[in-house]
Amino acid sequence: MLDLSFGNNILIYGVIVSAISFLVTLIATPKMIRSLIAQGSVVQDYHKPGKPDVPRPAGPVLLGGIAAAEIVLYFLTLDMTIMAIMLTTVIAFIVGFIDDRKVLPGWFKPAALITAAIPLIIFGAHGTNLNLIFGNAFIPLLYVPLIVVIIPIVGNTINSIDVLNGVVTRFVIITTMPLLVSIAIFGDNEVFLAALPLLFGTIALYQYHKFPSKVFVGDSGTLVMGSMYGAVAIAGNSEIIGVIALLPAVMNSFLFLASVKKIVEHRQVKVRPTVMRSDFKLAASKEKNAPITLVRLILAEGPLSEKEIGYYISNLAVFSSLLALISIFIQYYFLSGGI
Amino acid sequence: MRLTGLLGFITVMWVMILAITAFLINFVAPIDFVLFRNGLDRLIISLMQASIAIIIIMILVWGLNKMKKIYMQKKLQL
Repeated sequence: MLDLSFGNNILIYGVIVSAISFLVTLIATPKMIRSLIAQGSVVQDYHKPGKPDVPRPAGPVLLGGIAAAEIVLYFLTLDMTIMAIMLTTVIAFIVGFIDDRKVLPGWFKPAALITAAIPLIIFGAHGTNLNLIFGNAFIPLLYVPLIVVIIPIVGNTINSIDVLNGVVTRFVIITTMPLLVSIAIFGDNEVFLAALPLLFGTIALYQYHKFPSKVFVGDSGTLVMGSMYGAVAIAGNSEIIGVIALLPAVMNSFLFLASVKKIVEHRQVKVRPTVMRSDFKLAASKEKNAPITLVRLILAEGPLSEKEIGYYISNLAVFSSLLALISIFIQYYFLSGGI
Repeated sequence: MRLTGLLGFITVMWVMILAITAFLINFVAPIDFVLFRNGLDRLIISLMQASIAIIIIMILVWGLNKMKKIYMQKKLQL
């Protein structure tokens, strides 16, 4: 539970780290966009008339905003958990950045992301009890393998929802809210403060990623968001709450894997789950062997524009976040000895 | 409503997670005390708990797969 007593500076530190992550990302992104265009680091946006070039990736600038805030927070608090969260995020960024530069096999990201879990284990950022809504389980030995599994899964889950303009950033903004509430109740001041840059850095990036995107976040950006989400959920005793908030993305990953039946890079899938119509609306593919995704299911009832699909995915994120809030309420009731 | 089916799917997933967490807390977590009266090594107990948790998660995935097939047939006629 947050300690709001006078003198522990949580409000001041909160404002400082939020402002740093927000302003650094907001100010640096236009410079990054110009730099990426100058380097020719652009990809086509296939869902727009004329397929305009869009610079990619914005991961470095998001990491810059988050890391600047985390470094300041570390020197303010000298808490090693903050360092563990930051190192996990940095390693995930490196994995994503390699994937941005080179199309690698589907197994690369999950396998390489295991290394991102190491700082959390080495610095002991995790607890020994896993909160399971109706109580907590004392699992000092099982917690380590669990961390090794959580970081790659959450990283790839967030990565899989990066489907259209603005979707992944808005999804992370919405689903981070219940996570912050959970960390405030079941975590501590330092982890709550360390999680704020994820929200505020992503809000700043969203200004450039929203429809129509001026920049794409790329794998480096999605893995920064995903791994940091997983890291703060672990350090803040909010693993299950995080999973519930991410349910639409979990569902998307599950449907994709269950239909493709192997871990494969989405760029390597031959049959697309959606088709572009001449009016630039997207429709669900009728191909039997096309992957099943969240977007394809949303389009099953008729074609939609890119902007409309983003709106529907956000509604699903709001819904899962509400379920996460209900779960927080249930968990608080049981953990505080309500029965 | 375009999202009704998906909201239902997500709700069922949530209920399944709640059911699993309730099972883990009430039956798997106290297994060392209930079955073995704290008489087994901590490592063995942890391995047993992990194995049960993995089996339960596999059942969850199997259940989701079944649900997905029914949903797909209804929505995409696949």
